[in-house]
Amino acid sequence: MMTCLEFRRRVGAEPFAADAAIEAHRLECAPCARHQDELRAMDGLIQRALEVNPPPRESAAAPAPPRAWRPRLFALAASLVVGVAVAVVVIVVAPRAAIAREVVSHVQHEPGSLAATQPLPPGALHEVLGPDGLRLRRGAGDVTYAMRCPFDGRIVPHLVVQRPEGPVTVLILSHRSIAKPIRFEQQGFAGVVLPAPRGSIAVVGQDVADLDAVAQQVIDAVDWGK
Amino acid sequence: MNRGDGETDRRRRFGDLCESLRPDLLRFAWWLGRDRGLAEDVVQESMLRAWKSFGALADERKAKAWLLTIVRREFARSFEKKRLELSDVDALVAAESAVLAAPEDERVGQMREEIFRLDADYREPLVLQVLMGYSTQEIADMMGMQQGAVLTRLFRARARLRQQLGLAPEHEA
Repeated sequence: MMTCLEFRRRVGAEPFAADAAIEAHRLECAPCARHQDELRAMDGLIQRALEVNPPPRESAAAPAPPRAWRPRLFALAASLVVGVAVAVVVIVVAPRAAIAREVVSHVQHEPGSLAATQPLPPGALHEVLGPDGLRLRRGAGDVTYAMRCPFDGRIVPHLVVQRPEGPVTVLILSHRSIAKPIRFEQQGFAGVVLPAPRGSIAVVGQDVADLDAVAQQVIDAVDWGK
Repeated sequence: MNRGDGETDRRRRFGDLCESLRPDLLRFAWWLGRDRGLAEDVVQESMLRAWKSFGALADERKAKAWLLTIVRREFARSFEKKRLELSDVDALVAAESAVLAAPEDERVGQMREEIFRLDADYREPLVLQVLMGYSTQEIADMMGMQQGAVLTRLFRARARLRQQLGLAPEHEA
C-alpha cells in the first residue's frame, strides 16, 4: 500500500500519474487526492506560462522601463547614453552582423555550389523558385546552381549566377525584411543584402567588382509575383 | 527518382520539419538560456548541424526529440563559449520582460516569472515534461540521467513553484 509520502513524491513529479496504486490511494486519502488535484490545476497554469512566443531579435528593441532610483540629471543622461548605445548594438549592429555571418556560413557549407559551370535548364530553376512564387527573367546571367536550402529556420532559394565579374551566390530571403542595405566582408567573401520587393536578397562573391550593381541587376531580374 | 530529385526531396522534408518545429525549438532554447538573441543563435546553429546529419535520422517521427537534443548540445556549447554569467536573475527578468508579460492573466505572468527564476536543473525537465510532453524516462534519456534523478528534479521544481506562489502550506515548503 502506498504511503502518503510516496504518493506525494510521485504526483509531485508526475501530477497526471494514474496507475492502480495512485488510484487506490486517492480513494482512501482525501487530502492526498485534493493535493493531486491542486497539482494538476497548477500544471495547467505551468503549461500556459511556458507557451511563450519569443519575438525575433529585431523586435526586441522595446526600451526597458526607466529606473526610478536614479533621480539625478547626470545619472539620467548617463542612462540615456548607455541606453542609446545598447539600442544601437541591439537594433542595428547585432542583426546586421548576424545576417552577414549566416550568409557567409551558408556559402561555406556548400562549396560545391561554386564549382558548377553548366547553365541549368529552366525546369530546374522553376522547381527552386516556384514554391515562393518567383521567376528569374533573362538578364541576371546564367544560373549554374539552384537549390532550396535551410536558412534562418526557413527554406530559401539559393542560386549561383555566372556574371562577367565572376560567379555570385544569391540567397532570396523573402521572409527577412531589412530597412537598408547591409554590406559586409568576411572570410574572403564580400556581400551585400539589399531590401527587395519581398523581404531581401543577399548577393555574395569573391573579388567581384561593384557588387551593389550586380545585386541590383539580380533584383531587377527577379519576377517577385504578387 | 534520380539523384537530384532525391536531394530536392530531402531538402523539402528537412524544410518542412524546420518550419513546423522551429517555434518549439525556439521556445525550448529560450527557456534554457532565457535570452532571445541566444535562443535564435542556438536554434540557427542547431539547424545547420541537424542538416549536416539529417541522413542519420532514421525515423522522422522522432525528429522533434532529435532536434531538441541538438539544441541542448548547442546551447551547452554556446554557454561554454560565451561564458555567460547568468547569476543576476533580476537583470534577466528585466531584459526579457516583454516575453514574460501575460497581460491576459496575471497568474500566468507570475508563474512565468517564477519558472524563469528556477535553477536550470529544475527548469529544463519541467519544460520538457509540461511543454514538450515527454515522459520522465524520455527526459532521462535526453538529459543522460537516471529516471529517478529526473523525478526528483520535477518534484522539487513543483515544490519550489508552489512555495514561491504561496500555494504550499508552511510544513510542505
